[in-house]
Amino acid sequence: MNQLPIDIPLKNFHQNNGAKILPFAGFNMPINYKTGIINEHKNVRNHSGIFDVSHMGQILIENNESYLHKLEKYIPLQLKKLIKNRSHYSFLLNKDGGVIDDLIISNIDIKDKSYLYIVYNASRKKEDEEIFVSCAPNAEKIYNKNCLFAIQGPDSINVLKNIIDIPNNMNFFDILISKYNNNVIIVSRSGYTGEDGFELSIPNESAENLITDLLKNKNTMLCGLGSRDSLRLEAGLSLYGHELNENITPIEAGLLWALDKERLEDKHLNGNKVLSDQLKNKLYNKKIGLISSNKSMLRDGMTLFDNNNNQIGKITSGCFSPNLNKSIAIGYIKSEHNIDNPIFCEIRKKLELVKINNLPFVKKNYKKNGSTYE
Amino acid sequence: MSEKKYTKDHEWVSIENKIATIGISNHAQESLGDIVFIELPSVGNSVKAKDEICVVESVKAASDIYAPIDGEIIEVNNNLENDAAIINQDAENEGWIFKMKIYDSNQYSDLMSQDEYKQFLEQ
Repeated sequence: MNQLPIDIPLKNFHQNNGAKILPFAGFNMPINYKTGIINEHKNVRNHSGIFDVSHMGQILIENNESYLHKLEKYIPLQLKKLIKNRSHYSFLLNKDGGVIDDLIISNIDIKDKSYLYIVYNASRKKEDEEIFVSCAPNAEKIYNKNCLFAIQGPDSINVLKNIIDIPNNMNFFDILISKYNNNVIIVSRSGYTGEDGFELSIPNESAENLITDLLKNKNTMLCGLGSRDSLRLEAGLSLYGHELNENITPIEAGLLWALDKERLEDKHLNGNKVLSDQLKNKLYNKKIGLISSNKSMLRDGMTLFDNNNNQIGKITSGCFSPNLNKSIAIGYIKSEHNIDNPIFCEIRKKLELVKINNLPFVKKNYKKNGSTYE
Repeated sequence: MSEKKYTKDHEWVSIENKIATIGISNHAQESLGDIVFIELPSVGNSVKAKDEICVVESVKAASDIYAPIDGEIIEVNNNLENDAAIINQDAENEGWIFKMKIYDSNQYSDLMSQDEYKQFLEQ
């Protein structure tokens, strides 16, 4: 990672629109625009906002039984049973059940051919692609020719409907192929903010036109990775390298719901024994939400203590929550700590009381059958 | 009031009757982004130049503020306790952070002038 950061295709467009650009995961990325992180954050919660996340990995893998079987060593889903036009949140697991990466995997047809379309973290491209290519030698990385945008917030559907055909019955985590200016685009109803929204994979040559069309709506705005982080934290969503890494299992991370329970019995799945043991014995570090009891900010890496001054855990992500007007954090504590007992966080050499808060901090606003669910 | 001077840590200092007023530069507030909290220094503390004396927190990160010169903290801007965003709105006036009685005015003379600070930022 000592190479110079790579420019995303629309870097100049973002700069011309006032973006502050900083390196992130090997890419020069918009962190925020002129009005600042808090304003972008609130605009997404109240209206909508547009994120360029073209640094993310995107790959197409042919829906071929032998490829799927090899991938099932790493991915805790029944890949042969994935429903067409649906997305799933999942992982690549190592031999100990630790998370090599978290990803979104979808079953879609493009030009009459069936594929798994996988979106994965920019910071994990090397590790992930080694696995993808070892399982499916002709896997096709598409992130060099396709930008990835996310439009997020309750108004997203109205902004997008004017530009792209979206069926009314599209649910959260549905995915489909649509057209924009004669380009094939992949549209999924998904996101990383806790709000309703869409992700759009669009060929580079049409990407600037699409984002310009979206921005014609006066209630939407460009948003950077800064507000993306505060939004996902309020929504209690995990970030690779913080809540997730190779030494943390999905169960410890509170993501048991994303594991296919039948696969946990399958010896072909990496770490299946570790995972099923954790499930039985319930002896593992627990992911918790924390909220500061005063105005101090909780930050990644701070240490947590019980009232006998024993170290009981660590914060993995922390920021100011624009919705709660307080600092919030996600962290891990040891299984033996009774969560009814007080927790203290060391902030600049002082111990300050913090309160446990159920995740998410802000209710999710996803859509199913036309109504909202959490 | 004397000419405003700047430190390499992006603080500004102005002096009147041996009392220095200190804040962060407009450049510093721009690069920090939305400021959400400030831990003000304690009045009565004697500090030395380069001591970390308080902390400004933006949405994303915490930044230390250093004493620009030796002296004693005699007043803090309590308005910032309720609304740290004043620093974003007016970093070099209403967003002042603390005042100190200074011991050695040569230390002040050694700081950068506005023009020198501009050149420093362009480097």
